[in-house]
Amino acid sequence: MTKNDQTEEVAIEVCDIDKTFKVYFDKANTLKERILFWNRNRHEVREVLSDISLTINKGETVALVGVNGSGKSTLLKLMTQIIYPDKGSIHTYGKLVSLLELGAGFHPDFSGRENIYFNASIFGLSKSEIDDRIDDIIAFSELGSYIDNPVRTYSSGMYMRLAFSIAINVDADILLMDEVLSVGDQHFQEMCYEKMMDLKKQGKTMVLVTHSMQAVKKYCDRAIWLYQGRIRMDGSTEDVVKEYLKVCG
Amino acid sequence: MFKRLFQYREFLSTSIKKEIRGKYKKSFLGILWSFLNPLLMLMVYAIIFPIILKSPEKNYVMFLMTALIPWTFFTTTVTQGMSTIIANGNILKKVYFPREILPISIVTSGLINFLISCIIIFIFLMITGIGYSKYLILLPFVILVQYIFLLGIVLILSSVTVYLRDLEHIIGVVIQALFYGTPIVYSLSTIPERFLWVFKLNPMAYIIQGYRDVLYYQQMPDVQGLVMLLLVSVVLMMVGYQIFNHLQKHFAEEL
Repeated sequence: MTKNDQTEEVAIEVCDIDKTFKVYFDKANTLKERILFWNRNRHEVREVLSDISLTINKGETVALVGVNGSGKSTLLKLMTQIIYPDKGSIHTYGKLVSLLELGAGFHPDFSGRENIYFNASIFGLSKSEIDDRIDDIIAFSELGSYIDNPVRTYSSGMYMRLAFSIAINVDADILLMDEVLSVGDQHFQEMCYEKMMDLKKQGKTMVLVTHSMQAVKKYCDRAIWLYQGRIRMDGSTEDVVKEYLKVCG
Repeated sequence: MFKRLFQYREFLSTSIKKEIRGKYKKSFLGILWSFLNPLLMLMVYAIIFPIILKSPEKNYVMFLMTALIPWTFFTTTVTQGMSTIIANGNILKKVYFPREILPISIVTSGLINFLISCIIIFIFLMITGIGYSKYLILLPFVILVQYIFLLGIVLILSSVTVYLRDLEHIIGVVIQALFYGTPIVYSLSTIPERFLWVFKLNPMAYIIQGYRDVLYYQQMPDVQGLVMLLLVSVVLMMVGYQIFNHLQKHFAEEL
């Protein structure tokens, strides 16, 4: 297989990465503190991820599962390029959109509509591209007349609806999602999963972090189980979920 | 770098707009403050300085205005620019976008505010009878020098401040000192020969003097000095971009 073929197939390539965080006990942030208490900068290096290598192909829907603190969100952040690995490399091919937290980047004083423009532009869309999509976004969010109210008046469910509607409508090739759907009501969650199935049919790649094993089994082709910063198991959803529930359930 | 910025041009322009609009959101007069601020500030100086300071300038208010408004562009941009990464920590930690958009949009929104304030200068040049001269065509050049210079400074300060928060206070003092080391409230011609080296080393002195030459004295500015400064600023901007790019990798963890 030539290199070119490979890039056509692969969506995310994670090569042998390590990531550590420095956890300061009492951080000297100012110059005075740095000089006076130079020895106070005691910190513990905490290994969050180690020896992670994985390849996600185009069109795959992958679930990251694991208990809290196992490094799932960190892995997503690394894929998004919000943080960088200490060792190893990550390559993503195609336009990537991540939904790591509810309404990240919403400006509370601006209306929902203005925030659509602002948020979609963070994802790299131009004004005319947003103009084309705005009706779809508003329709999908089912916010109706609330769309022109300031976002600070929204409930957390409305926040999520808006954030999700934007992320799903920006035509990304890769969609990363960190356990955000749980805020929505049953009806909206179903709508979201339906839409995700749509995207899947279009050949989009998705990586989800979720604790809902039902959703994993129903919607994902592949599951990766992270345990203490390492990949414990990587395989078909069926097998991984069974193992996972045996140990953690 | 430019390709990435072009791809994210919409975000760049919305964040510039946000910077300008957000500043005046919730105030009654809104963007009008871009006019009123320099105007009111000027009134204060116009009342105070003729009393405490006997200046040989024929029109001290205009003398002051042509220097003070560009100076405000400099100080507000530097102070806002250096805290922009920290202020936007919430977004930085959750969404990917080219980080350099933040400092660039601060400097650019500062520029737009400055251009609005320039209207005040033009109106007053007409009212006071000083008028305009052919040297006005050099004004865009002086503005360009200041813009590039600010970009370099803000790229460096915004990224370093994340790791060394003291810098905000240090720079505050430096700016105050620089105010007196720049010919703003006084004219260069009143400075004794042996202190002139201070102004040779101060980049803002070239810029401010440039504005004043073009707008107030209506004479040829020190073009050679300004071209030199432009070259230095371009280098500063490139070095600043490298520093910023290196430091930005750990922003999300430091904030």
